[in-house]
Amino acid sequence: MEERLEPNEMIIHLGPQHPMQPGPFRLNLRLKGETVIDADIELGYIHKGIEKILENRTYLQGITIVDRICYLVALVNEECFVGCVEKLLDIEPPERSKYIRVILEELTRIQSHLLGIGEFAEFIGFVSMFMYAIREREEVLSLIDMVTGARVTHSYLKFGGVRNDLPDGFKEKTLPVLKGLKKEIDNFEQMFHTDRIYRERTVGVGVLTADAAKDLGVSGPVLRATGVPFDIRKNEPYLVYEDLDFKVCTETAGDCFARVQVRLNEIRESIYILEQCLDQIPDGPLFPENTLYGRRTPVMRVPAGEVFYRVEDPRGEMGMYMVSDGSDRPYRVKIRGPYYPTLQALPPLIIGTTVADVAAISGSMDGCTSEADR
Amino acid sequence: MDVTEIFNSLTGTFPEAISEAAVESKIRARAYVDKEKVKEVCQYLKDSLQFDHLCVVCGVDYIKRNEFEVVYHIASYNHPVVLMLKAILPRENPEIESIVSVYWNANWYERETYELYGIVFKNHPNLKPLILPEEMLGEWPLRKDYEGFPNKTARNLV
Repeated sequence: MEERLEPNEMIIHLGPQHPMQPGPFRLNLRLKGETVIDADIELGYIHKGIEKILENRTYLQGITIVDRICYLVALVNEECFVGCVEKLLDIEPPERSKYIRVILEELTRIQSHLLGIGEFAEFIGFVSMFMYAIREREEVLSLIDMVTGARVTHSYLKFGGVRNDLPDGFKEKTLPVLKGLKKEIDNFEQMFHTDRIYRERTVGVGVLTADAAKDLGVSGPVLRATGVPFDIRKNEPYLVYEDLDFKVCTETAGDCFARVQVRLNEIRESIYILEQCLDQIPDGPLFPENTLYGRRTPVMRVPAGEVFYRVEDPRGEMGMYMVSDGSDRPYRVKIRGPYYPTLQALPPLIIGTTVADVAAISGSMDGCTSEADR
Repeated sequence: MDVTEIFNSLTGTFPEAISEAAVESKIRARAYVDKEKVKEVCQYLKDSLQFDHLCVVCGVDYIKRNEFEVVYHIASYNHPVVLMLKAILPRENPEIESIVSVYWNANWYERETYELYGIVFKNHPNLKPLILPEEMLGEWPLRKDYEGFPNKTARNLV
């Protein structure tokens, strides 16, 4: 950004540490009066070099590393990585493992959306909403904890299956939580719809049209809030999503209000998916029979090849491109995180708005800088 | 629009620029593209074949062949096919045309590929490091002959 200032102009650096941010990045704003006339982003404050680390670790160690791309959605990251390796090994997990994965990934989606909604409300000054959302999220995290033994970084998925089975009484404990959650989501929605201040801060703020969103390359709730029904679970079904009944939630307004509304509706859909899964989950083994890849995966060599595998992250399209050269380590892994293009689309979106709306627009993207930097 | 239709249209329009094209499955296709023609091919994909969503641009270092590959994954909001386009560059002075004017979100992917591999994207609007500090420009850390990992980073800290 050019440093020379015209009269009435000033430059504000939001970040690298700022309460509005989901992680450290620097947002440079050039203001004229209170209007943003230019903006750019500097990344790299939390760069971990995960792509390079993965090249120097075996596949099994890689599962632990990909957890750290974004701790909020660790299970989805694992699904993407493990899915790539399974495609290269040409194995497929048995039905029961697939259902367990779907259950855990939908729980992940619910808790990520709850935090996203809570944080967004906090950014625009609705702090008690954050507490309500976190309270519900904690219950969901306890369910994940019950199965995987960890709240955020799980290392739970294995090639061809999952580490351990669902504990006894999981269904009995989950159903009341889901029932309570449904009620709370209705409460949240009612609050959002009736609170005048909240509506004034969000309705018509940060409007993104469908064509602009496509041009900017965003995905996930930000795109679906503009009316484009793009969801990898429908477009390119993986695991057992083909057999499950759910709909892709869309809104048409494309503003901050619509983005939050899409997340609320998606939580409802996830609850519906979970109820189906808990009813339908079959008995059976966790790993495919007659393969080496079980709970104790040996040091394994993966056949040479390359694969691009996409899954639906709570924030949008998560993809990994993996190249194997036949050794026990990946030759190259490219991680395509969903928040990276969304963050890139932030400067064009905030140019022309006022400073007060920057926090609202940035918060409604529900980001994770850790994943953008990797 | 299904994958064979896309495949035929692409190979028919660019018989020279596209080579080793193959259909892998119902939702995946791949092809090598001439490095001079990348932008034209991308423009055609976007305008005529509904490939309006760029998933990712990345580099791969094939040190044994003394080559870089720039890999484009291009998808669509309307149909489920993902096309993998690859361009081969020499390891000395790797240069390729930027596709930012076609796909806006290629901007950061190309900057990242530049700082990690040293692949120069010609006509890029703002080719400077994105996630690495300025001092690391010229190290090209994701090349396979980069020796700094992990010792160099540790030495710098001490």
